[in-house]
Amino acid sequence: MDPLVITAHTLTSAAGTGIAANAEALRSGTSGLRACDLERVNLDTYVGRVPGVEAIALEGALAPFQCRNNQLAELGLRQDGFVAAVAAAVERHGADRVAVLLGTSTSGIAATEAAYHRRDPQTGALPPDYDYQHTQNMFSLADFVATRLGLSGPAMVVSTACSSSAKVFADARRYIAAGLCDAAVVGGVDSLCGMTLYGFNALQLVAAQPCTPLDRDRTGISIGEAAGFFLLERPSANAQGARLTGYGESSDAHHMSAPHPEGLGAATALQQALDRAGRQGDEIDYVLMHATATPANDRSEARALIHRLGPTPRAVGSKGLTGHTLGAAGAVGVAQALASLAGGFVPATAGLRHPDPELGLDARAETEDRPVRRVLVNAFGFGGNNCSLLLEAPQ
Amino acid sequence: MNTIGLHAVGLLGPGLDDFETARAILAGTAPLTGDAINIPPVRLLPANERRRTTTTIRLALKVAEEATTDSDRSQLRSVFASSSGDMDIIDRICDALTQPEPVVSPVQFHNSVHNAPAGNWSIATRNPAPATAVSGYNATVAAGLLEAATLQQCEGGEVLLTCYDVPSMETFIRVRPIHHAFAVALRLGPVEGATWRLQMDLKGPATADRCGADELEALRESNPAARALPLLEQLARGTAGHVTLDAPLGRSLSIRIEP
Repeated sequence: MDPLVITAHTLTSAAGTGIAANAEALRSGTSGLRACDLERVNLDTYVGRVPGVEAIALEGALAPFQCRNNQLAELGLRQDGFVAAVAAAVERHGADRVAVLLGTSTSGIAATEAAYHRRDPQTGALPPDYDYQHTQNMFSLADFVATRLGLSGPAMVVSTACSSSAKVFADARRYIAAGLCDAAVVGGVDSLCGMTLYGFNALQLVAAQPCTPLDRDRTGISIGEAAGFFLLERPSANAQGARLTGYGESSDAHHMSAPHPEGLGAATALQQALDRAGRQGDEIDYVLMHATATPANDRSEARALIHRLGPTPRAVGSKGLTGHTLGAAGAVGVAQALASLAGGFVPATAGLRHPDPELGLDARAETEDRPVRRVLVNAFGFGGNNCSLLLEAPQ
Repeated sequence: MNTIGLHAVGLLGPGLDDFETARAILAGTAPLTGDAINIPPVRLLPANERRRTTTTIRLALKVAEEATTDSDRSQLRSVFASSSGDMDIIDRICDALTQPEPVVSPVQFHNSVHNAPAGNWSIATRNPAPATAVSGYNATVAAGLLEAATLQQCEGGEVLLTCYDVPSMETFIRVRPIHHAFAVALRLGPVEGATWRLQMDLKGPATADRCGADELEALRESNPAARALPLLEQLARGTAGHVTLDAPLGRSLSIRIEP
């Protein structure tokens, strides 16, 4: 496929605010997880909570969007000169030629949870200041970001659970190829809320200690939150940088909340990403795995990697740094891959003590400094929804 | 965008049991009578999975099944488009979270994801093709059409678009007044062999078309998925025509239809 260039990007997660802090945490393996201290959540677990989200005030035309998810989006947008880079893209292409394609799994549901606590005790009515459209509705995130950045291109929210913000990269490629736009703001935002913490807890997928992807003793996920944004354009004199060269999408067609035991859907997505880029498996430096740290997820994904890349592929899991950021996981993975390409290192798998020999992967507890040219990023979600992206260093 | 083919339609709404029997109502030659809606179980799912489905999943899969009757479902890409997703589950979980010791049902939680119908559809049809789930608030139909048309143009083959929204439960009816379930599915694909040809263009702000009959217009206004009704009316008339739908961010989707 014709590659797209990532001309600007930013990431805010529990591991850091902005790409420099996240890159440093990735290189040093410094975790942002801490014991769960969320209001109204009484669970024995660790979370990847972003500091400073609550202090963000959305004002003027943005005021109706006030909720944790959009506050986190705003905090993310303020980093790394992203707003100015989008403004420059608007100068080049026009506001109606820049798409807004974003992923989230739960949007602003924390606002609805809070509103339920304030229902009228007699009538059960939600409080009058509750604004469904601008907070909890799925489209709220794209609406907020488009309003904030002054964009009027094609817009939508993709919500396919934990693959959401990976799939938007494939959408951007198609929207640009189809002539609907010349550039796209993609990425994703998901924020901590009671529904996901108690929901994953009900599925017995939450670890009591910080998650340890790919480890022999892994017991489950730590839930995190993050905001990641990327500006994608066709390559040109003005548009240079790391590239999206392939994508793959598939469905497990197996189970709503458990992965295919042999990772069949994941293997298909991974192979499609390689095929679209015209690459062989041995040309990939490593795979930045979805690696949520549940026993079944990591096993299934490892089998997919070995099936397509051969024995003991180099593999990295990064959710020990940020927690599993759900609908933002794809965006986090892409930003981490870009940090690794730019910084010349294969990241450690944070939290890894005893690599699980049953997985058959080359996963390491230490960061390795060496040039990196190509990284596959995986993101898989409930419903058996899979996406793989291939990121390559600048030409 | 390129012209794409529309091969089949599925429909379910109050007084609208399926596309073929609703044709006369949509064409304006028969009145819409009654608001009964029967959302059947998903026949394609195995019994144990069928028991775990929600109204939202059954609504979406009914029209998806209708639009793919007599076609190969095993490799079909799919786009599931809903403004609000499963508001029944959101209501139950948010209510549970107000309790001192919240208990969330695991099945409800995994069905709470916006792509629950997409996941169930891929399981029901044993279909490993990519599936997606999108939202564009009240312009979700246009967002879904653009996503599906783009997929067809760039990846080829057939693409199933399913748009659906369930009615709001009591707590939400004031902030999101959706009173009836509504779902529509369009099987899009190559122009060759298609029943209709659609030429879509994303344009600037323009007034969306309304429905011919008052009863259909009320339905169109009441449910985001029913914003597709002017398009369905034009399809049912069987003549060439043009429809404008609201697109996200205040823009419009212009659709030229040729039988």
